[in-house]
Amino acid sequence: MYFAGVDIGSTMTKVVLMDKAGNLLSFIKGPTGAEHRQLANEVMRQALEQARLQIDDISYIVATGYGRLNVPFADRQITELSCHARGVSSLFPDARTAIDIGGQDAKCMKIQDGRLVSFVMNDKCAAGTGRFLEVTAATLAIKLEDMGEISLKATENIQISNLCTIFAQQEVVALLSRGEKLENILAGLHDALASRVAALARRLGIERDLVLTGGVAKNIGMVKAMKESLGCEVLVPEEPLLTGALGAAILAKETYMKAVRAGEVLPTKSRRLEKATFFSQEYR
Amino acid sequence: MSDKNKGLNKAREIYLDSSRRAKELKAADKKIIGYPCVYVPVEMLTALDLVPYRTCADMKEPVTEADRALPHSFCPVMRNCLDCALKGKNDFLDGMVAIHSCDPQEKTARIWESYTHYPYFHFIDMPITVRPEALEYFKGQLNDFRKTLEAFTGKKLSADKLEAAIKSHNQQRALVRELYELTKPSPPHVSGTEIVQVVKALTSLPVAEGNNLLTETIGEVKKRAARPEKKSARLLIWSSTLDDTDIMQALEAKANVVMNESCGGVRAYRGEVKLTADRLEGLADYYLNEITCARTFRQAALGETRKDYGRDLQSRFGYLKGAIKDWKINGVVMLLVRYCDPFAFEMPSLKDYLNSIGVPSTYIEYDYTTGALAPMRTRVEAFIETISQ
Repeated sequence: MYFAGVDIGSTMTKVVLMDKAGNLLSFIKGPTGAEHRQLANEVMRQALEQARLQIDDISYIVATGYGRLNVPFADRQITELSCHARGVSSLFPDARTAIDIGGQDAKCMKIQDGRLVSFVMNDKCAAGTGRFLEVTAATLAIKLEDMGEISLKATENIQISNLCTIFAQQEVVALLSRGEKLENILAGLHDALASRVAALARRLGIERDLVLTGGVAKNIGMVKAMKESLGCEVLVPEEPLLTGALGAAILAKETYMKAVRAGEVLPTKSRRLEKATFFSQEYR
Repeated sequence: MSDKNKGLNKAREIYLDSSRRAKELKAADKKIIGYPCVYVPVEMLTALDLVPYRTCADMKEPVTEADRALPHSFCPVMRNCLDCALKGKNDFLDGMVAIHSCDPQEKTARIWESYTHYPYFHFIDMPITVRPEALEYFKGQLNDFRKTLEAFTGKKLSADKLEAAIKSHNQQRALVRELYELTKPSPPHVSGTEIVQVVKALTSLPVAEGNNLLTETIGEVKKRAARPEKKSARLLIWSSTLDDTDIMQALEAKANVVMNESCGGVRAYRGEVKLTADRLEGLADYYLNEITCARTFRQAALGETRKDYGRDLQSRFGYLKGAIKDWKINGVVMLLVRYCDPFAFEMPSLKDYLNSIGVPSTYIEYDYTTGALAPMRTRVEAFIETISQ
C-alpha cells in the first residue's frame, strides 16, 4: 500500500512517495517550467522509477499547490497551506508556526495538533517572495544559489527601503553606481525580504517552534535574516522544498486509512500518467 | 424543462447583457437613469416612471480609460465603473444619480459628470453617521433630489405615486428575502452564483419586471429536482460589492455560499421602507439607518455604547447573528476589495464580533481583477479545510 503527494508550485513541481508505515520511498523535484502545470506526469514517472513502483501501486494520491487543480491522476486536492502544516509538523512535532517562502507567495501558518488552524498569505505581488531574490540575482548577474553565502560577508548595514521587486531593482542599481559593495547590498536585500515576511507572520502571532520552508529556506543568508527579524530560532528541514508534497502524501495516507477503518471505498481517479491539459479534468 | 425566457435562465441572460432591456425600454421612449450604488433611493425614480439602472463594474474589462482621470491606488471597483462609462458603455443613459456613499464614489462622480454628457445629473450628499441631525440633513438632500427630478421630468412627485413605488420596491425586498429562505436547507435550493445573477438582473430592470422575475425564479427553484451540490461548508461572505459570478464560483468551489452580505446580494433587501406621512422621511430613514454597509459609521450614533466595546459591536454587527444561526453558517469570509478603507477599517471589529459569537472567519483581500481568482480560491479552500477537519 503506497501513497503519493504531488505539489505543483509556481516554480517547482515536487513528488513524495510513501509506504503504509510512513517511510519515504522517493522524492523528486523538477521545474514546473514553461509548460506550467503540465509536467506533473513526468515528475511522477521519475519518482515511481526511483521507488521501483508502478502508478497502479499507489492507493491514494493528493495534489496540492497552485497546479493542484490539473493533476489528472490525483484523487483529492488539498491546499498547500494544509499540506505544508501537516508536512512541517511531521518533521518537527513541536512546530507551532511555519513560514513558507515560495517562488510566488509567502505564507505563514499556525499549527495545532499537527493541523493548520489559521494562516496569512502575502497579497498578489512579488514583494516578499522568492521572485524578489531571483529578479535581483539576475540584475546583479550572480547565481541565485550564491546569494546567501555572499551576503554573509557583509560589513555594513544597507537599508533597502523599497520592497516592490521592480523598484528594489532600481534601488540596487543606484547602490551599485554609488560604489556600495555587493555583499552589503545583498545583506540589505535579505533583511528587506525578511522584515516583510516577519511582519506578515506577526499578523498571525508567532509561536515557537518556528519552521522555515520553501526554496528561500535553502538560502543561508535568508535564514540568518529571518532569525534576526523574528528574534527567535528558525528551524529548517533538510529538504525545505518538499514539506508540501510530504504533507500531501501524509494526508493521502490518512484519508485512505480513515476510509479503510470506516469500511468505505474511496473513489480514485484513473491511474494513467497523462499530461494534464488546462481543461482535461473537471475538478471536484 | 425550464423556460429559456423565465426565472433563472432569464436572470443569467440579463446578467450577461445587463443593459439590453434598458436599451429596449429606451427605444420605447422610457427614460433610463443610472446609479452606481444601492444607497440611491430608486423609489423616487420609479415613482416618476424613470427606469433605475445600476451602473456596475465589469471585472473582465482591463482598466485603461479611467487611468486618464484616477490614480492607480484607488478603489478598483470605482475605477472600473468609470472606465466602463468613459468607454461609452453607459451612453444610452438619460441621466445619472451619484451619491456620496464613500469618498471614491464622490470623487468618481465629479469626474463622471465632467466627462459624460447625460441630459440629467444629480449628486446626493449622503451623511455617514446615523445621528438624528444626519437624518434631518439627508431628508433635505432627498428633497433637493426631488426638485431636480421634477424639473427634469416636468412632473410632480406626488405622495400617491411615491407610495406605490415604495410598495413595489418593498415587495421586491420581501421577494429577495423569500429567495434567500431557499438557501436555508442543506444543500441550498439555489446557489450563491445564481443569486448573484438574479440580483444583478434586479438592478438592471424596472421594479415590476424584477418582481416578476423573482416570482418566477422562486417558483422554479422550489420545484426543480436538481439542487446545487452539497459542499463541505456553509459560508457567509461579507463584502462591499460581490456581483461577479467568477468570484462567486471561486468561493463556491468547495463551499455553499448561503448568504452574500454585499450589495450584490442581500444588503439592499433587508427590512423595508416605512410609509411615513412625509414619504421622504421613510426613505431617508431606510437608506441611512437600515442598509448595513461599512460606509455608515454606526458606532458614532450610540454614544453610551462607545464605552462598552461588546455593546458597540452588537449595535454594529448584531444583524449578522440571526443570519449566522438561522442559515447554519459555519464560516464567514470577509472579502475586501483593495483600497476599500471603510471595509478594511471595519474588518478587525467584525472579526472580534465573530470571535465573540464563536464563528470562524477569515479575510481575503483582492484587487478586483481576474488574476486574483486563483489565489482567492486557495485562501478560501484553506480556510474551509481549517473549519471542516
